[in-house]
Amino acid sequence: MPAFRSIRTRRGKRKINKGFELQLTSLIDVLVIILVFLLKSYQTSLNTLTTVEGLQMPISASQDEPHDSLQVIITPEGITFEGKRVVDFAQSGDTAGSTEGAYKLNATDLDEGGRRIVGLFNTLVAAREKSELLKAKSPVRDANGNPLPFDGVLAVTADKRIQYDTLRKIMYTAGAAGFKVFRFIALKKET
Amino acid sequence: MLRRPSARRKVGREQIELNLVPMMDTFVTLIAFLLYTMAFIVMTHVETPLPTASPTEVAEKLKEKPLQLTVSFRKDETEIWSPFKKIEAKKIPNTPEGTPDVNAIHARLVEVKQQFPNEKQVVLAPTGSISYDSLVASMDGIRMLDATDPPIIVKNAETGVDEALKLLFPEVVFGNVLSND
Repeated sequence: MPAFRSIRTRRGKRKINKGFELQLTSLIDVLVIILVFLLKSYQTSLNTLTTVEGLQMPISASQDEPHDSLQVIITPEGITFEGKRVVDFAQSGDTAGSTEGAYKLNATDLDEGGRRIVGLFNTLVAAREKSELLKAKSPVRDANGNPLPFDGVLAVTADKRIQYDTLRKIMYTAGAAGFKVFRFIALKKET
Repeated sequence: MLRRPSARRKVGREQIELNLVPMMDTFVTLIAFLLYTMAFIVMTHVETPLPTASPTEVAEKLKEKPLQLTVSFRKDETEIWSPFKKIEAKKIPNTPEGTPDVNAIHARLVEVKQQFPNEKQVVLAPTGSISYDSLVASMDGIRMLDATDPPIIVKNAETGVDEALKLLFPEVVFGNVLSND
């Protein structure tokens, strides 16, 4: 009987034996679209500036890309310098656990008529001295053969709800410690 | 050489099947790499120098009586003025939300810039209660020129060519950081 099988039956058998082929064209289309989108919106950042969870940064239309520098972060709990907490804000019963009404400095943390933050000043002075020492040991020299001067740039990352009064104390303290340029870090406004 | 009609019909009928699997592998790897290295938060900065108070420099400047454009943020208003009366002082009330009216400040500063196109510096004197967010927004309005602003043309000192300015007052200094008030 098998010798008299019809042609239709034999063709059908061949079809069943043929390997299953995935239709990848539509998948490739999707991947291409995703790839183009990612490449268009691709942005890398070479700086090592960090933020803290829960910190609400202001938004700025400035086009300047921040460079690496020493960084102060002002959170509702305190002031952090290079990842190390240096000053804690006063937390009263009303403000504990909330961000509104925080950012009050303890009177014991201040001197020079309440303008300078002692803990931050000591930390910044130590950081400046360390930077100057590193520059003195570095083989990189200026035209006269002297070590490169301390650049004195301080990046300030602060919550947008902070008041200028607190910011001014930080700037005054940093200025007293030898930092002459401040970079206020913000989120870039999408144009 | 001519082919038989039956053979000619077969020519070109063989379908070429593209092997898309390696291409897909590449795409998947690329997408994974891009997603991994992508910065989803784009940061920027606004730079401001600490004001310096060198007596000799101050004395030298006072001889010329500079514009010293000053923007004072107060509790209810913002004042744009010059200590040497180079411009007419203008007080701009805050918005109903209690924040400085950035658009009005910007508009006034554009007028001042048209009068003094070579001036680059603005001195800020904010009140202690102003929020950092309002401050950064105001600094943007002071530093940046919008596309809708009238063009401000300045002759480039090096090339001698007239150029449209891209920034309004790029140098922003906090004037009351060192003071006691």
